[in-house]
Amino acid sequence: MAVLRLTGLLAEEVGARRLEVEAATLGDALRALPTSRLVLDEHGALRPLVHVYVEGARENDLGALLEPGAEVILIAAIAGG
Amino acid sequence: MSRTIVVGTRKGLFLIREDDDDGYALDPPLLAGWEVLHAVRDPRDGTLFACTNSFVHGGQLHRSKDDGETWEIAEGLGLPEESGLKLGKTWHVEPGLASQPGVVWLGAEPACLFRSEDGGATFTPVQGLLEHPTRDRWQPGAGGLICHSITLDRDDPERLYVGISAAGVFRSDDGGTSWAPANKGTAADFMPDDPYPEVGQCVHKVHVHPGRPERLWQQNHCGVYRSDDRGRSWERLDGNGLPSDFGFGLGLHPDDPDVAYVIPEHGAGNRVTTDDRLGVYKTTDAGASWRLESNGLPEPAWSVILREGMDFDAFGVAFGTQSGFVYARPHEGRWVEAARHLPPVLSVSLSA
Repeated sequence: MAVLRLTGLLAEEVGARRLEVEAATLGDALRALPTSRLVLDEHGALRPLVHVYVEGARENDLGALLEPGAEVILIAAIAGG
Repeated sequence: MSRTIVVGTRKGLFLIREDDDDGYALDPPLLAGWEVLHAVRDPRDGTLFACTNSFVHGGQLHRSKDDGETWEIAEGLGLPEESGLKLGKTWHVEPGLASQPGVVWLGAEPACLFRSEDGGATFTPVQGLLEHPTRDRWQPGAGGLICHSITLDRDDPERLYVGISAAGVFRSDDGGTSWAPANKGTAADFMPDDPYPEVGQCVHKVHVHPGRPERLWQQNHCGVYRSDDRGRSWERLDGNGLPSDFGFGLGLHPDDPDVAYVIPEHGAGNRVTTDDRLGVYKTTDAGASWRLESNGLPEPAWSVILREGMDFDAFGVAFGTQSGFVYARPHEGRWVEAARHLPPVLSVSLSA
């Protein structure tokens, strides 16, 4: 089990700021997200401006193994006017 | 008459409700946080569709069956890995004909078209356009390499047209399986070695006339055109009283195929309305002549109306500006301000 913490537009779209998902890897966790296409593109790659932190450290490797209960925070890049 | 003007903006979706006394009421925005490049209400069942875009979360399509209370995001909008392409922004959503329940078309970047058979829940890319033999001659316009116009022949469910910048107009007579360039007679002045190429034209907006489907109208980067033979040839119409050949918005009259509306801008290098006014020009003689129809519009004004920024129905026309104003009028009558101080308007569509 991993704990996904969602922010911004992603939290609005999913309708939750915290989700528990069954996942062995970061990729599993993100694919378990409802409307995962907001964080993964059509080829399954992480969208470059979605920043992922696992247990407080930046992680871009979708194959990264998650410890049971790992906290995964998704933060969108912020820019524009 | 009570209509809704569905307005896509850089900061969400707005519904402007027209009262019976021609007043307008504005609801709070929907889809906050999303850039809505185009939105429509499906005349078949009232579903709202919105081409939603975010520089973080990509190009998407939202749909709502309860007038914006709840939304779902479409699945399947993406390009196959072997194409070497990835989906960019979503630009235009077109519900299918009444005789095609469940069919929805979506145009997007990079120059791709998608078809849904289940009311917009899931989409698949249209391979005949994705793998078109002329694709290597298509070049992006200022908005990217985008499929921004999808227009249906009301009499023949197998025939439809797309407009791609800058590739031109393409016609399919077999439901989207194969596509033929339909650009004969339309100019590409920015290609000095071949100003009338088979493909490469920068169409800005193209519509099939709903009542006379062999007739098409086109506002192009290089001129205003009409075709009376399903896009096999085009006649240029902007030497006939228009102050400029350049513009984006295009309106028609469903009951009179000789009527069209355009909003000329100075040109590619100065994309703002001409003559220090917000000038809408109308023809009632199939483009042989055009006259200014700005009664009720502000003056002086320097406005910008984008390619999806104008729409029409049997009752009239409406358009929105990048400065956040929306205007509407009956086909015969004066313009009325329907909304002001919106975010930059990206699209306008009329819904009964």
